[in-house]
Order: sequence, then structure tokens, then C-alpha cells
Amino acid sequence: MAGTVIGEGLTIEGDISGDEEIVIHGNLRGRLTTSDAVTVGGTAVVGADITGASLSVAGQVTGDVTASERVDIQAGGKLVGDIKAARFTIADGASFKGNVDMEL
Amino acid sequence: MAESSVIGAGTVVSGHVRGDGSLEILGRVEGDVNVTGNVIVGASGRVRGSVSGAELSIAGHVQGDLRGTLAVLLENGARVAGDISSPRVGIAPGALARGHVQTDGEPAAAARPASAARPASAGVRPADAPRDPRRGAPAPAARPSPVAAARVAPARPNPPIQPSVAKVPARAEARPEPRKPDAPKPVAAPSAAVAPPETEFVPVRPLKVEPRRPPPPVVPVLGKGVKAKKKKLHD
Amino acid sequence: MPRHPNEISVVGAATRVTGRISGDGALRIEGSVKGDINVNGDAEIAEGGSVEGNLQGDGVDIGGSLLGDVQARGAIAVRAGAEVRGELRGAEVSIEAGARVSVRLDTEFELDFGGAPQRRH
Repeated sequence: MAGTVIGEGLTIEGDISGDEEIVIHGNLRGRLTTSDAVTVGGTAVVGADITGASLSVAGQVTGDVTASERVDIQAGGKLVGDIKAARFTIADGASFKGNVDMEL
Repeated sequence: MAESSVIGAGTVVSGHVRGDGSLEILGRVEGDVNVTGNVIVGASGRVRGSVSGAELSIAGHVQGDLRGTLAVLLENGARVAGDISSPRVGIAPGALARGHVQTDGEPAAAARPASAARPASAGVRPADAPRDPRRGAPAPAARPSPVAAARVAPARPNPPIQPSVAKVPARAEARPEPRKPDAPKPVAAPSAAVAPPETEFVPVRPLKVEPRRPPPPVVPVLGKGVKAKKKKLHD
Repeated sequence: MPRHPNEISVVGAATRVTGRISGDGALRIEGSVKGDINVNGDAEIAEGGSVEGNLQGDGVDIGGSLLGDVQARGAIAVRAGAEVRGELRGAEVSIEAGARVSVRLDTEFELDFGGAPQRRH
């Protein structure tokens, strides 16, 4: 089970940092940093730079994202910002605007 | 969908958390929490900021005010430095709290049942007034005395006016209601005043009773040009 | 006040005391007291009892009404049916849900916000 779950009705204004999985279904405006996986659910609206081991986006993210492993933007998901990750996928039906840096 | 959130034990939120649903805090929050649902601060939870919700259940450490619309319960192991306000407050043995604890002004409303000691406490309340502002207790506690006095005054003139209606003088005089405010009013007024803590108590209204003025004199209306008829006493 | 500290003194339900109460031994208030109370023993305000004044004792148990400050060497317990206004100072203060209070707690303790949150590896 995920370490932190931000439900759909919740809004956080500020920074979230930790060393466990983070799942967001609500709103975040600030910064998100973890050493584990990040999941941005379909109802989420995130205005924040995100750093994690991996990132899956099904909702809306505006900010730069950095993942040590991979970034996946699901169908219906939207990312406006730069991606820095070893691997990434942008699904059919996903929306993305930004730069990608696959550091080697 | 169940709107419940969890801030995990390994997570720190630096900022405010607000919204609908319930929240369990097992990690750390440096900011205010304001949700419509219940809040649980687990034993590992640490909050530096105020917490507002429906029912708050605290087993961790909180530096900030706690406000629960339903209840605030401190479990064994809780450490709270801040003010606590809720209709129901429980502090279990083993929980430590420092600050002002208030169950929403109910002490005045609940004063009714024990009637024996009431005159003492009714007299005490106004004396308590200097302490109240410091405690943040609702000001209405000090008001009931002037209201009780004000309520008694308008009640008096009413019965004398009734008799002018002719048919009901006996009933008006015998009507016990206007008289009653004398004794129990000082007791009832505080509870009535304090019972709805949200509303501003404005004691001015009852003073608007105006029927003190005597009814306007009945003046016979004469048509224009009518001269007074002088009665001829003798022909 | 009794000379034997083991005995408990009682202010009966139909009794009204106006003035100070002090001494050794436990004390239970079932009636009403208007004045300060200072005992070397446990003090209890039973349900229906009322005290208007400051209360000092070892352990303090409040089931009735108290208007005044409490200084306890031990723990202070406020029962569900109690009504308390004042400052409560004791080694520990517990309040049962249902009590009607407007009190200031002044318990000594430290908050522990530590450094980093618990790390899980």
C-alpha cells in the first residue's frame, strides 16, 4: 500500500518530501520529492516540480519532473514541463509539452 | 469514492493541507490542516500548525490549536501544546496538553439542572467577566444580567395597557407570563444567550417595546365652516 | 479536619460551607463550598457537589462543578458530568468527553519533533 495518499478532495499548498511511495488524487501546488514511486491520479491537478524514482501521470502536472528510473504519461494525462529520466513513455492520447533529457 | 488521505510515516509536508475528506497523519506536517472530515494524528505523527476538522483523534505530537466541530480526543501518548476547542473534548490518562481547553461555552447552558446552587453562580458570572476576555470565553456570558433587567422592564407596562381593551382586564392581570421573567429569567437568559454560540447576541431588541405611549386622543371631526352652536339658555 | 490522615472528610450534599477548608486527609465535597480548599490528601468534588474557590490537593477528582484554580501534586481527573472553569495545574490532567470546561492547562512536558521523519529502508 502506498505510503502517502492525497485524496481527491484534498489540496496541499507547499512541499511534500519523503522516502516512500506517494499517490496524489487531489491538488498540489508546491514541490514533490521522494526516493520512491510517484503516481498522479486522473483527478489530480499538480503545479509542482516532481522528483522521484518513477512517475506515472494520469492527471495534470505543470512542472519539471525528474525520475531516476522512468516517467510514464498515461492516456488522458497531461504534462507541461521538462522530463529528466532514463526512460519515458507518452501514451497515445496523452498530452505533453516540454523537453526531454534522457541522461545516460 | 471514500475521500480519505494518508500522509505516510516517511513523508514531510511543508505547507497547508485543506479540503474535503478525512486525513490520517503518520508523518510530519509543518503547516495548518483544515479539512471537513476527521483527522487522525497517529503516534508517529507530528504537526506544527493548527488542525481543524470534524473529529480529531490525536496520538502524536501537535504544536498548534486543535478545533473539532464534533470532538477532539487525545489518546495516551499524545502531546499537545495549543488551545483545544470542541463540543466534546477528551484527554485520556497518559495524554499531556498545555493550553486553553474549551467546550464551546456550554458550562453556562448546562447550569440549569442544579437549581440549588444557581443563585450563586448566576451572581458569579458577571464577576467572572474580567477573566473571560483573557480566556477568550464568549462575551455573552456577561450580558445576561442587563438583558434580564431589560426584559423585566418592558414586561411590566404591558398588563396595564390591556385593560383598555375592556374585555380582558382580569385575564391580563392574572396572566402569569409577564411576571415570570422576574425570578427565573436571570437563570434562563444565560442559557438562551449562550446556547447558540455562533450568533452575536444583541440584547437591544427587546427594548423596542413602544406601547407605553397612551392612545391618541379621539377628537371629534368637525366639518369646515361649522360654527359652534350657542345654546340659548333662555329665549 | 481529622487527625488521622486515613480518614476521609465529607461535606454532605445538603451542606453549604462558606470559608476555607484546610488540613490533612482526604476530602470529598458533595455539597457546596465557597472558599479555598487546601488539603494534604486527595480531594474529590462528587457529582452534584460544587466548589467556588481554589483547590489544592494531592490527587484531584472533579465530578461536579468547580469555579476556581486547581493545584494538584498528583493527577487531576475531570469526569464526564463535571463543569469546570479555571486553571488546572497537576502532574497530569485527564478530561472525560462530555465534561463542560473552560480551563487553562499548564502541564509540564516536552514536544518531540526530532529531526528527519522516520526513515524506512
